[in-house]
Amino acid sequence: MKKKWGTVLLSTLVVSGMSLTACSTNKGDEPKSTADAAANGVSADGFPIVKEPIKLKMFTRIAPTNGPFKDMPVFQEYEKKSNIQVEFLEAPTDGFNEKKNLLFASNELPDALYRSGLTPLEAIRYGSAGQLIPLEKLIETYAPNLKKLMDTYPEIRSAITTPEGHIYAIPGIVTVGSARTDKKWMNQAWLKKLNLKEPETTDDLYEVLKAFRDKDPNGNGKQDEIPMTARNGLSIVPIMGGSFGLDFQLGYNINLENDKVNIWMGNDRNKELLMYLNKLYSEKLLDQELFSQKEAQYLAKQGTGSTGFFFDQTNNPMLDTKVNDQYIGIAPLKGPHGDRLQLAAPVPRDFGAFAITSVNKHPEATIRWIDYFFGDEGSTLLRFGRQGENYELRDGIPYYTDAFLATGNQSKITPYAGGGAPHLISEKVASYINPPQVQEAQKKLDPYMPKIRYAAPMFDEQTAQKINVLRNDIDKYYEEQSTKFIAGALSFDKWDEFQSTLKKMKIDELQKLYQDAYDNLKKQK
Amino acid sequence: MKSTAIPVDAAPRSKSRRLFKSIVSRYDLYLMLLLPIVWYLVFHYGPLYGLQIAFKNFSPAKGILASPWVGLEHFQRFVESYYFWRLLWNTVSINLFSLLFAFPIPILLALLINEIRSKTFSKIVQNVTYIPHFISVVVMVGMLMLFLSPRGGPVNSILQAFGAAPVRFLDSAAWFKTIFIGSNIWQNMGWQSIIYIAALSGVNPQLYEAAKMDGAGRLKRIWHVSVPGILPVIVILLILDVGHFMNVGFEKILLMQNNLNIQSSDVISTFVYTTGILKGEYSYTAAIGLFNSVINLALLVLVNRFARKKAETSLW
Repeated sequence: MKKKWGTVLLSTLVVSGMSLTACSTNKGDEPKSTADAAANGVSADGFPIVKEPIKLKMFTRIAPTNGPFKDMPVFQEYEKKSNIQVEFLEAPTDGFNEKKNLLFASNELPDALYRSGLTPLEAIRYGSAGQLIPLEKLIETYAPNLKKLMDTYPEIRSAITTPEGHIYAIPGIVTVGSARTDKKWMNQAWLKKLNLKEPETTDDLYEVLKAFRDKDPNGNGKQDEIPMTARNGLSIVPIMGGSFGLDFQLGYNINLENDKVNIWMGNDRNKELLMYLNKLYSEKLLDQELFSQKEAQYLAKQGTGSTGFFFDQTNNPMLDTKVNDQYIGIAPLKGPHGDRLQLAAPVPRDFGAFAITSVNKHPEATIRWIDYFFGDEGSTLLRFGRQGENYELRDGIPYYTDAFLATGNQSKITPYAGGGAPHLISEKVASYINPPQVQEAQKKLDPYMPKIRYAAPMFDEQTAQKINVLRNDIDKYYEEQSTKFIAGALSFDKWDEFQSTLKKMKIDELQKLYQDAYDNLKKQK
Repeated sequence: MKSTAIPVDAAPRSKSRRLFKSIVSRYDLYLMLLLPIVWYLVFHYGPLYGLQIAFKNFSPAKGILASPWVGLEHFQRFVESYYFWRLLWNTVSINLFSLLFAFPIPILLALLINEIRSKTFSKIVQNVTYIPHFISVVVMVGMLMLFLSPRGGPVNSILQAFGAAPVRFLDSAAWFKTIFIGSNIWQNMGWQSIIYIAALSGVNPQLYEAAKMDGAGRLKRIWHVSVPGILPVIVILLILDVGHFMNVGFEKILLMQNNLNIQSSDVISTFVYTTGILKGEYSYTAAIGLFNSVINLALLVLVNRFARKKAETSLW
């Protein structure tokens, strides 16, 4: 009954809203009879978005490489164009989640969250509580670019729509394949020097890394080479998992086999992977600082040339260094069972990059504001700044001008540096993340990309809460134990105990919930 | 009580009238009292009202009052959680070991400083030992990381000079408590000894003279004169310490924590932070926090009672 009343109420609202706008077009400028949107002076297309300037407060994450948002050409230019002045409340990447959650907990909300990295669970929690507003209707009318993308790539819609049909958060959308994968960068200078071939299998890799460690490939007489490194902590698992047949479907540690959801954390394949990584770690082939290093340290290691094998989406961190041509991308390694899978993010890559809160008085204007960045013009402005000053067009593709590149300021002037910004990354605007070196590396990966990559599914509120409770314990446990297995702090004798504890934490129930979500997803298609 | 003999009405009225009179006559003093009272009401009793979210499914949008009651569900979830025993053990053991090792050391230091004859030297010792207290937690943990680093940290360099393999101190669950408590002792012993030194200076010098006359040596004098002299202070400080028994140095643990030492570094307060603030589970963690406080209170009452019986000193 309740549900019915809800739909009736909603549809009356919608209908009356529509009739009101209809009225307004008929009768012209009668303020009382117009709907909110028209009253705010929001035009459905063209610029400026609003006739009278408005101000919006947006909460955002500022990465270590970024400069202040108000100094970024994109926002300066766009403010003039749109008549919307955005005041950014910047929180640094470290501690960002804490600040974000405190905003919701204290109910002191900004107008919108920009580059907010909301998780699906957060979006559902705050959305169903009414702190985030549903966007699906707004997108329909005021976000032509986004709508077009959602029609072209149906997986976007299914990845961000809750079972009730609401969209609480807009993702960052990535249509260019090489921006969805971490390349496997191998130091070819070292390979050449030691007369080694590109490794094909995980065993090859082991031998190559051993040679890197022992044979002083950088020729300084010291054993200071780091054969292999990666981002902090367990990021190494998804990167190497593909060689052991571990996939990451539905945004989780899941393999899909004949429409069956299989959470593989307790499986033998995962054990093999962890044993392999443990072998690398204990023989000092894998960076000993893997579990304690910070992002900045890792990025610095890429540029020093003392690293043999590492993983990154682009070659940016090594670009400005002398060693940038030392690295080439290699194909995924063939595992002991012949698996050769490459991890790739789905098209809606950064879930929850943008959301509008309930205190926002101009939701129509806000959605139009963000929609701009999902078109070519807006995303170019966001990534490259001003034409002539910051970039030039070559064959219709924007490139930073050499003069501007020389200043080394690119990451200061654009919010995309640091990741997770809500905008479209397409072939057209990806020159900086898709230069020839990266394209070459991507070509090596392409044959091994999974055919379909399902994004994390959206659950209804109750299921989301259940999953939340289960995953809180399970994820924490998995992360801790895997780290210990790799670092050798826990012996593989304890594997049975590990498995039975996962069982105790009801991993089967979690698997069932994901299975249901997957079945729903199938039905929708 | 047999209060029937006194006229029932007259006594309270005259009492309250007297109180009222004394308030009026010294209103300026009472006005000064107002500020701390308001402070306590707003910042100490006010938040108690928010505790009810431990029994509710708190949703910030609905506010505290409108969120639905769920009873003891969150407490049950915590007690049944896989991490319950680990959290409890770590919290209790870190405190227990702190109490065992870190509590006596400032006392010993105070006794030592008290015995130093040269005034300048004792001042130097005192200064050297209490200055580390002013190092901030973040800097302190940074120093630990540098000193204990397996790549070129001084501690490991010394170990290696003696032919031992480098130890990854901060990545090891076995070392965590030792490092945590050890560095706490180093940082705080001087500061905490100040109060004992003050108490020692209050001990009647004639007692020492008398003991000397009776032929007591230095150790005997310390044992029979100095220690009893500061015993009440020791007991009071012990009780105060127990009062925040379960609130271990949260920031420091959080900064030192990583997946390799979490087995022994995961304590209730850090768990509350990571689950409550970072994952937004406010009700659940409010329940855990409440659980923590209740244990705290129980311990405090117990120790206080024990101290009153055995040492005849207590907070109340």
